[in-house]
Amino acid sequence: MDASYTIPELMTVFLARELNDGETLRVGVASPVPEAAVRLAHLTHGPNMELVFLGARMNVAHLDTIPMPAYGWDRRVVRWAESYSDTGHRFDRVKDWSKHVFFIGGVQVDAFGNTNLIGIGSDYQRLKFRGPGSVGTPTLSTHVGRYYIVLNSHSPRVLVERCDYVSAYGWGTGGADARTKLGLPGGGPRLCVTPLAVMDFAEDSRRMRLKSVHPGVSIDTVRRETGFELIIPASVPETAPPSTEELQALRTRVDLDGRLRR
Amino acid sequence: MNQRRERILDEDAASQWIESGMTIAIGQPTPMALVRSLIRRGVKNLTVVDAGFSLDLLVAARCVRKVVSYYAGGGFGNPVTPAFRRAAESREIEVWECEEGILCAGLQAAAQALPFLPWRGGVGTSIPEVNRDLKIFKDPISGETLIAVPPIKPDVAILHAAHADAYGNVQHIGGPGWIDLFMYRAADRTIVQVEKIISNEEVRADGWKTTIPAADAIVRAPFGAHPFYSRGYYLQDNDHLREYNDAANSAGRGESKSLDAYLDRYCREPVALGDYLERVGIKRLLALHEY
Repeated sequence: MDASYTIPELMTVFLARELNDGETLRVGVASPVPEAAVRLAHLTHGPNMELVFLGARMNVAHLDTIPMPAYGWDRRVVRWAESYSDTGHRFDRVKDWSKHVFFIGGVQVDAFGNTNLIGIGSDYQRLKFRGPGSVGTPTLSTHVGRYYIVLNSHSPRVLVERCDYVSAYGWGTGGADARTKLGLPGGGPRLCVTPLAVMDFAEDSRRMRLKSVHPGVSIDTVRRETGFELIIPASVPETAPPSTEELQALRTRVDLDGRLRR
Repeated sequence: MNQRRERILDEDAASQWIESGMTIAIGQPTPMALVRSLIRRGVKNLTVVDAGFSLDLLVAARCVRKVVSYYAGGGFGNPVTPAFRRAAESREIEVWECEEGILCAGLQAAAQALPFLPWRGGVGTSIPEVNRDLKIFKDPISGETLIAVPPIKPDVAILHAAHADAYGNVQHIGGPGWIDLFMYRAADRTIVQVEKIISNEEVRADGWKTTIPAADAIVRAPFGAHPFYSRGYYLQDNDHLREYNDAANSAGRGESKSLDAYLDRYCREPVALGDYLERVGIKRLLALHEY
């Protein structure tokens, strides 16, 4: 075990382990942890994965390294794509997306895994913070087999009881049928991964539940930094840290410029 | 004589097609020569279908009244592009809240002359609550809950591509933009600025390569997408974008001097693309070639 890992590295390795060979992994812009995680999984245990960065679909399992993009969306990174689809045609085969996996962020995430990229403020006409907009997350979250909520901060400001606006519907107001009753075919959010902990969703209520805390983080800290009442099971394990091999693969084959260490 | 009409216009003549109050769609690679000409002419009250920094620049120059956008993401450390954020929070612009699938459904409805097209992505979200033009309905075949997306019909679509002939046959390098083909099909008229005009013979040698048939106007604009990329020609100029971004960020904090200076220097004072490129400088431009 290598104690020198950073939290973004731990989150990346955790997510990479979640991904299975044969799956199609869809990643949006400007989310370094998922961008690194899909590359790492592809190189270490996913030779039949397909990586889709926006519309560029690739399998580059034969490469020694898959570097991170230089900026938001550096199109040189996807030079090895085997096919492209434009935004308008990206959703043409959503019927087949049960094996697709997606990663999502938000300016707010609520107790039922709904996410908000629209803005903050009770009056939509007078937002206190105007968010970037929903991108394709409403459609992606509707159709993919499962998705992961990945946050770069864990605070009561971000993790709220109820989002001011919902741009991607997770489990609505809760309940096992929250998605099926709206006819949403996808499997919904599977986990929420933050710098402090990993959360899942209780099977019956679909309320967020603490699954593991990262090494050195107390349950009390997670409770204090969460803006809603988290379900806390009787025993909460530690998130398994990266192994020496995983960390070495991440640093020498994916995160070549060390941005997850900064 | 029985002669086919050519569709090549200069930057200014093409720009005149766009008047204050119109709805325009802006493609990607971004037709910046035309975007800057709108700022130079002081066009106002536009409804703009666009995303990212080109949208932000038009908002910063106060050309925009309403935005149809799925994404105004920032980069360079901003979660949101600075001018868009300031203008949306101060209600200087109205936002037509949508997302990629909804936007494309609306453009497709316009292209196919339909009153709406159904879309599922967005059901359960706040999008149809804050955008009253979107209607939740039960589909008459199987009773599913869906969103009816009305047509999104630009008066003019402005796009950037690698090549076109004099008759409006456009051929991209490395794919036809992101939403460009949807914008072209939905719009009343389409102007495409290109890196290079090619011969009609070259187009007819492989007509399958033509991505946009019969664009209404072609504008010759080498380096015309700068500071953005143009596939097969050059990469995005991040130093230049950062300069704009910093200026727009200070304007968001109430110091508009550097943003005004940027707009004057790069958008208002240069009378044509050549003047703009001179200000950017040949060394910078040559440094942006792919690899």
